[in-house]
Amino acid sequence: MVVDAPVDPRGPRFIASATAAVLVVALLTGWWPVLAAQALIFAASGFVSLGLNPWGRLYRLLVAPRLAPTAEREDAAPLRFAQGVGFAFALVGTVGYATGLTAVGVVATSFALVAALLNAAFNFCLGCEMYLLLRRFAPATVRQ
Amino acid sequence: MTGVWALLAVVVVVGAIGLLLRAREGRIRTAKPTGPALPGPVAALLHPAAPVTLVQLSTTFCTPCRQTRVLLADLAGRTGGLHHVDLDVTDLPEVAADLGVMRTPTTLALTSAGVEILRIGGVPKRDTLLAALRGYLPEEHPPATNG
Repeated sequence: MVVDAPVDPRGPRFIASATAAVLVVALLTGWWPVLAAQALIFAASGFVSLGLNPWGRLYRLLVAPRLAPTAEREDAAPLRFAQGVGFAFALVGTVGYATGLTAVGVVATSFALVAALLNAAFNFCLGCEMYLLLRRFAPATVRQ
Repeated sequence: MTGVWALLAVVVVVGAIGLLLRAREGRIRTAKPTGPALPGPVAALLHPAAPVTLVQLSTTFCTPCRQTRVLLADLAGRTGGLHHVDLDVTDLPEVAADLGVMRTPTTLALTSAGVEILRIGGVPKRDTLLAALRGYLPEEHPPATNG
């Protein structure tokens, strides 16, 4: 695991918008490879390094140079956690679509899309703020 | 086409959550008179000399926590009788559960005796928070600012 340096806060929002677009395509086509690709992106940025996220790279390469520079920085740990949560949903969705359990695929993809859209439209990171709630429902063994 | 319907449902849900969050962000909730006893790690943070201690609950995975920390530290620095501490509950989920806190940041305003005055979910609004705490803080004019 790489410890990521703090990031320009507008980057994650750009990532969320691009992720939402991918998830919309997955939802409309129901084609599992689209969701599988997004699951891979979630896994790489959540479990390895945020720097691996292709949308983040696109932001740094094409978008950031056109925006006014900002000294504001955001901690990478919450974003990594949220990408990990996204991975869980994308994985379940991919398996659902690929095995013909379309309902599972639709529901899991919809949940991931809700989180991505909340981030893109309202700058609200569901995975980050709900960490405590997730911990509360975690198995008792984890708590001890 | 289930995908289209799911997409429509998602848009509606996101809109509803977004509006709800916007309405609740920084809103002040006054505590019930007989709240539960304070968990030990929180009680230990109370400043004995300050009439009001703001205990901010944060996690490592929380983006607005940093913004809240900066805002409250600055506010406490400028306001007499107001003390601010940040408690990382990433590995203390039972503290958050005991307090009924489900999202971070949540900030509790406590008296030196540990009585909860109010709590704020999300990033607080400076002026509304100060106004709500006025009755608990010593009468004092804020330091004059130039201009």
